[in-house]
Amino acid sequence: MDIKQKLFALSERDAVGNIDEASLFAHDVLNDVCKTERQNNLTVIGFLKGESDYTVMLDAHIDQIAMVVTDIDDNGFLTVSNAGGIDIRALPSRRVTVHGKEKITAVFCSVPPHLAKDEVEYSDIAKLKVDTLLGKKAKEIIAVGDFVTFNVKARELVGSRVAGRSFDDRAGVACVLEIAERLSERRLPVNVAFTLSDAEELGLRGAVTASFKVNPDEAIALDVSFGDGIDIKKEECGELGKGAMIGFAPVLDSEISKKLEAIAKQKGIAYQTEVMSAKTGTNADVISVSKQGVRTGLVSIPLRNMHSAVETVDIKDLESVCDLICEYILAGGVHSD
Amino acid sequence: MLEKLCNLDATSGDEGAVRDFIISKIDGFCAWRVDNLGNIIAFKKGAKTPAKRVMLDAHMDEVGLIVTSITTEGFLKFSTVGGIDTAALMFRNVKINGKTNGVICGKPIHMLSADERKKLPKEDSLYIDIGAADREDALKFVNIGDRAVICGECSINDGMLLSKAIDDRAGCAILIDILKRDSEYDFYASFSVQEEVGLRGAKTAAFAIEPDCAIIIESTTAADIAGVSEEDKVCKLGQGPAVSFMDKATVYDREFYNAAINSGIPCQPKSAVAGGNNSGAVHLSREGVRTIAISLPCRYIHSSSSVANKEDFLNTGKLVRYMLSGICSGEIK
Repeated sequence: MDIKQKLFALSERDAVGNIDEASLFAHDVLNDVCKTERQNNLTVIGFLKGESDYTVMLDAHIDQIAMVVTDIDDNGFLTVSNAGGIDIRALPSRRVTVHGKEKITAVFCSVPPHLAKDEVEYSDIAKLKVDTLLGKKAKEIIAVGDFVTFNVKARELVGSRVAGRSFDDRAGVACVLEIAERLSERRLPVNVAFTLSDAEELGLRGAVTASFKVNPDEAIALDVSFGDGIDIKKEECGELGKGAMIGFAPVLDSEISKKLEAIAKQKGIAYQTEVMSAKTGTNADVISVSKQGVRTGLVSIPLRNMHSAVETVDIKDLESVCDLICEYILAGGVHSD
Repeated sequence: MLEKLCNLDATSGDEGAVRDFIISKIDGFCAWRVDNLGNIIAFKKGAKTPAKRVMLDAHMDEVGLIVTSITTEGFLKFSTVGGIDTAALMFRNVKINGKTNGVICGKPIHMLSADERKKLPKEDSLYIDIGAADREDALKFVNIGDRAVICGECSINDGMLLSKAIDDRAGCAILIDILKRDSEYDFYASFSVQEEVGLRGAKTAAFAIEPDCAIIIESTTAADIAGVSEEDKVCKLGQGPAVSFMDKATVYDREFYNAAINSGIPCQPKSAVAGGNNSGAVHLSREGVRTIAISLPCRYIHSSSSVANKEDFLNTGKLVRYMLSGICSGEIK
């Protein structure tokens, strides 16, 4: 499976709350190349033994933005709440999957043309009902607390770009799986732990327990970051196709950031820098303060339309991330420095 | 067949894919020709020639997008073709020219102010991203004037249809079915172009056919959804086709309306003076045409996820056949 196939397979499987399709898939792929276990709901942890006791942890979050059913009426219409940040203006007439006793394809109600007003205020997701198409039968299949996810398949755009749901952070997960495959065939100077952690979208939760368990000496979070686009300031985003985004921030270990950049330069791997002025908004923020503190770096993949059903990335950037991280691990991280 | 029809792309003025499909289905069952605008005009020879010439009509086009320019960065600027709610455009998959994939891109929610999050963006601030590196790269795949549709694959489940373009492929499917059956009476049919941009194809088709009476087979808005009051629902899924007495384009023939409502076939009045369809063009053709519109009730119409009921679809066909034979035989005065 190449990295695009991994990403597509991960995108079409959901992972939120009790829905663990993507975790199961990732577990099986990772388990083929290293010792792998599950932690809590969705978290997957793999481990490759190296030639020292020093452990570098690579983290990507496996969970995704979603919604959860809060009410079901007698005619089969649902009220939902969001689990993670969702642009509710883009929900009307969108297809979703309701993870009930069986998977149900449902549709967000849109305003009928004859009732349309010039200015509609989109302030409350609870006002946007979801049509299950099931009528009275809905209550037999769906319960309050069931999760709801976008119903859309990943697609190829032109060149090496692709668009789909949950690329935040399945793009990072796909990289971790690819890196594990590549590293499993090499002699490693350090141990490498792979954590695919739960509940990032609900406040960086899964990485807290995953890093506690792994207890690494050093960690790198692999996440997505804002890609360029219409009306987006150049200084606030990375460019698609221009390579891995190496993070520089007060909460990150600057030696790691510098070494990542040095290796990218030395090996001719496409990269760009991303500078943040405080925290990063990624799992790096919590991993770095795990136990007695963990030296932590951040490498991101530029992604357009974040938290939508058409998150867009360039496969070349995923390749750059894999190339960079593999070289970095083979160089022993900052262990030997 | 409805599934195949819905999955074809035919933004107004670019109906070729649907036209070719329809011709492949009706060829051999009737005489047909394509007129200057692209309408299919068909003549079905029946056992008898009726006193009144009847025209059946369904439109082939759907709402969509047209590419108006390409930015230096390779994003496509577009206009909507026909009425589409901006909410139905945001972060959607699109297909350009029936082959190139794209997405309608936008600012991520993280970068929006509290005010921006509540209001829809202006339609002209939206762009399509096909993944091109820049303008030159984009031009290898698309060009200005190309049409696009919002993707919405058809799925049929548990008696419910979920698809883009049910408006009016449902009408096309019914009309194809009627043309393939043996007929007691001669009649004419038009599969018309450009309904969504002002009922244009039906105007020339009606002029050519020169009918006395017309039956327009359509899809219309059903607002039987959560949060809409009873009097605003227009029509409901599961209660048969909606029959119009008046909309924004036509005051319908009262005898035809009464005959349909009293047919005994499940149907309902379209209980709002809203919208319009090819009747608007057809009933004003030449010296006037007595017209009825029979429509499949359809939730979330003009979106990529319209919803209709299969039983309603079957009853729509049934009611159209009932009206056709009643008008031809003279039983419906």
